[in-house]
Amino acid sequence: MFALKAKPASRADAAAPVSRLSPGLLVRGRVETEGELHIFGRVIGRIDAGILFLAPGGLIEGDVVAREVRVAGRLIGRIFAPTVDVGDGANVQGRIFHHTVTVSRHARFEGRMPWRPPSFFENLGQLPETQP
Amino acid sequence: MPDPTPTQPPRPQAVAQPLPSTPSSAGAPGTSVISKALKITGQLESSENIQIDGEVDGDVKGVHVKIGQSAKVKGTVSGEEVEIAGTVDGKIEARKVVLASTAHMSGDVIHQDIRIESGAYVDGHVRPENAKPKTTASTFKPAVLEKTGTGAA
Repeated sequence: MFALKAKPASRADAAAPVSRLSPGLLVRGRVETEGELHIFGRVIGRIDAGILFLAPGGLIEGDVVAREVRVAGRLIGRIFAPTVDVGDGANVQGRIFHHTVTVSRHARFEGRMPWRPPSFFENLGQLPETQP
Repeated sequence: MPDPTPTQPPRPQAVAQPLPSTPSSAGAPGTSVISKALKITGQLESSENIQIDGEVDGDVKGVHVKIGQSAKVKGTVSGEEVEIAGTVDGKIEARKVVLASTAHMSGDVIHQDIRIESGAYVDGHVRPENAKPKTTASTFKPAVLEKTGTGAA
């Protein structure tokens, strides 16, 4: 179970090392980290991270659970994060469960953006089934 | 009269600091870094280098694969060159294999070139791939005995 717990972001994130998935990498499965993850390659599966950055050219197909998500690549699936930033060049198809969200005018988004209170993300155990 | 109101300098806009940009693909191939805080359950396949300091439960395939001292890999590790300083529970298939003194290897090692440092733990079958015997039927030439005269008295 990966439940997002509120904790001081700066110290916790500064202590955990940063992981990087290069452009030539393909991961099929589940990726889990309490720290920061930069994705330049492709991930097919679920990602649990502290801070997630999807770089331009990167691809995620699946669910993302994190404290903070910044998207500049392509994502097909769902995001569960209190803070979400959909930046320039991003292409998101799916749902963004958020408390605060920023979408750039140069981003492309297709789907829904359900707002949730912070307590929703702190008690996130089993991911909800996608509503039809 | 001078304007009593001092001109305010432009307020810097708060912008998020950009995260490190992707390296140029024209230079050296990029390296994926699986830090010690990262765990992957599944398959990794890369056309570039991979450095693993965390945990991987699945197969790993790359060009130059480096398993760090704190890393734990459960699966097959394959590549052009594989360096192991951590724990691997599975098979290794590579042209060049280096087992460091802190390596803990449980499984077969298939290689063309291998170096094992003193202190490395290896529990498996270490064998070369496409081993060529030093002498073959085509290269073997029996000595030719020259016939001498019958030596008639």
